[in-house]
Amino acid sequence: MNVALSKNGARLLRAFFAFVVVFLYAPIAILLIFSFNDSDLPAFPLSGFTLHWYHQFLTNADLRGALETSAIVAALSSIGAVVLGVLASIALVRRRFAGKAAVSALLLSPLVIPYVVFGVSLLLLFHRVGIPRSVLTVVIGHIVISLPYTILVLVPRLEQIDVSLEEAAYDLGASRLRTFRSITLPLILPAVLSAFLIAFTTSFDEYAVASFVVGPRATFPIFLYSALRFPSQLPQVIAVAVVVIVLSLVVVVAAELGRRIAERRLGGLES
Amino acid sequence: MALEGEAGTPPVRLPRRGRARPDVTTPTLLGLPVAWLVVFFVVPIAIVAAYSFDVYSLFPGKHGFTLAAWREFVHSSVYLALFWKSAKMSLIVSAVVVALAYPLAYYLALSGTKRKYVLLLLLIAPFLTSYLLRVLAWKVILGNQGVLNTFLFWTGVRSRDHPLSQLLYSRFAVMLVLAYVWLPFVALPIFVSLDGLDRRLLEAASDLGASRWQAFRRVTLPLSVPGVAAAFLFVFIPTLGEFITPSLVGGASGYMYGNQIVDLFGTGFPDWETGSVLAIFLLGVVTVLTAVFARLLQVRQVTAD
Repeated sequence: MNVALSKNGARLLRAFFAFVVVFLYAPIAILLIFSFNDSDLPAFPLSGFTLHWYHQFLTNADLRGALETSAIVAALSSIGAVVLGVLASIALVRRRFAGKAAVSALLLSPLVIPYVVFGVSLLLLFHRVGIPRSVLTVVIGHIVISLPYTILVLVPRLEQIDVSLEEAAYDLGASRLRTFRSITLPLILPAVLSAFLIAFTTSFDEYAVASFVVGPRATFPIFLYSALRFPSQLPQVIAVAVVVIVLSLVVVVAAELGRRIAERRLGGLES
Repeated sequence: MALEGEAGTPPVRLPRRGRARPDVTTPTLLGLPVAWLVVFFVVPIAIVAAYSFDVYSLFPGKHGFTLAAWREFVHSSVYLALFWKSAKMSLIVSAVVVALAYPLAYYLALSGTKRKYVLLLLLIAPFLTSYLLRVLAWKVILGNQGVLNTFLFWTGVRSRDHPLSQLLYSRFAVMLVLAYVWLPFVALPIFVSLDGLDRRLLEAASDLGASRWQAFRRVTLPLSVPGVAAAFLFVFIPTLGEFITPSLVGGASGYMYGNQIVDLFGTGFPDWETGSVLAIFLLGVVTVLTAVFARLLQVRQVTAD
């Protein structure tokens, strides 16, 4: 007998769960349907099937440029955030030092700042110092935003690893760096990869902070936002939306599958 | 590929005796991440504070410390009223979303379904896709000539002259879209706290004669409070400073505090001093909230032990 739920309770909750899933996916399904609709306006009744909008956005140079810029920004900022995150996580898990609580509070504090406040802050900093806004200023902001996420992924993984593995390597004469490269890094690699993925997707989708510090080269969200204000571009944007949403769903599912396979393989190593 | 390296341990090369091994000190590890956050996070906020006291200014000329902008902010009914309106909107959104997510998380964690992680992924996946595009979907659906209205015309439920016109560009639209956007995410912390619940506590309650409802109210619910509180905070903070959703689907009545901040730093009539006051005030509220919640949760954890 399930002590938490009666049979009828479970049935009721299952129905509610299904209802919410429909609510969550219906808008996405509607975008999908209208991305193939042969009309300038997304409205009923449907007026025929077309691939025109997909063709149009594939040939849109501004859009391609924005996707390219976002890919660069996301790659740079996620590499930066992961490197800083690995350094900070090792210090937090493996070292004892005074003021640890304060340091970890600082490292995690970007999680709770409203992005509009952070965007304004960066804008004023770059204005004061006289740094022109560019791709690089967006990268700087995105590293700050992503850093706490990478730490949240890396710290639990580091805590799972038996310290004696690292100590053994050190006792056998490996330097700290070599110990890290040969022992620690391979063991935390799945977590490093998921930290990278989280940082990458966070940056790729980030509009709020970027809107304050972006330069003349628009990132993809910046491009989307401005395209949303021109009704004539709407069908094209819907087609882009479908591609982006479907791609990111595929990546999410693939990452989850990869994580499970990796964990199954590592499972034997730690116990 | 890379994972295979773990199984086969690489051959360890013994260093020549007597050679000093370079060590990595704690400051080396922490230096870069901490410096990054100080330079690009703490200092910028301090600069905003300096603008709010008119120590720095957008306009050239002599400036000194003054509380003028703060005084104006406290006395002007406009900004504070806007803040309360936004706070109320985010409060409602957060409460509704947590109330909806709780039964979902409860079902996943405690119904004994074998596919709980698959279902959890199904629930969370929309959150991991583009935020802007999920807002766009509702813009397409809710407009006067949008999918929902034209569907109603087409099926004859409403006449073409009388669309449901309060759908888009309203406070309702902002709250609906924010709830839609945050619902999947909120289920996660609640799920984690319910999934970690010791089932033996529920069995004990049942053995002692408690009904399922009593066991829920006296055992499950109190133990899931930390997850619920975290979930609430994770929605409330970002929605309080939200400006993207209201600017896309809010119109005039859905205008929020965050939009005001953006506009004060915008290209129209910039007023960085007032804008800085609004930003620092919002940051202060959020910081106090976070600190209070963290304290409450810690006290709960201590008493639970």
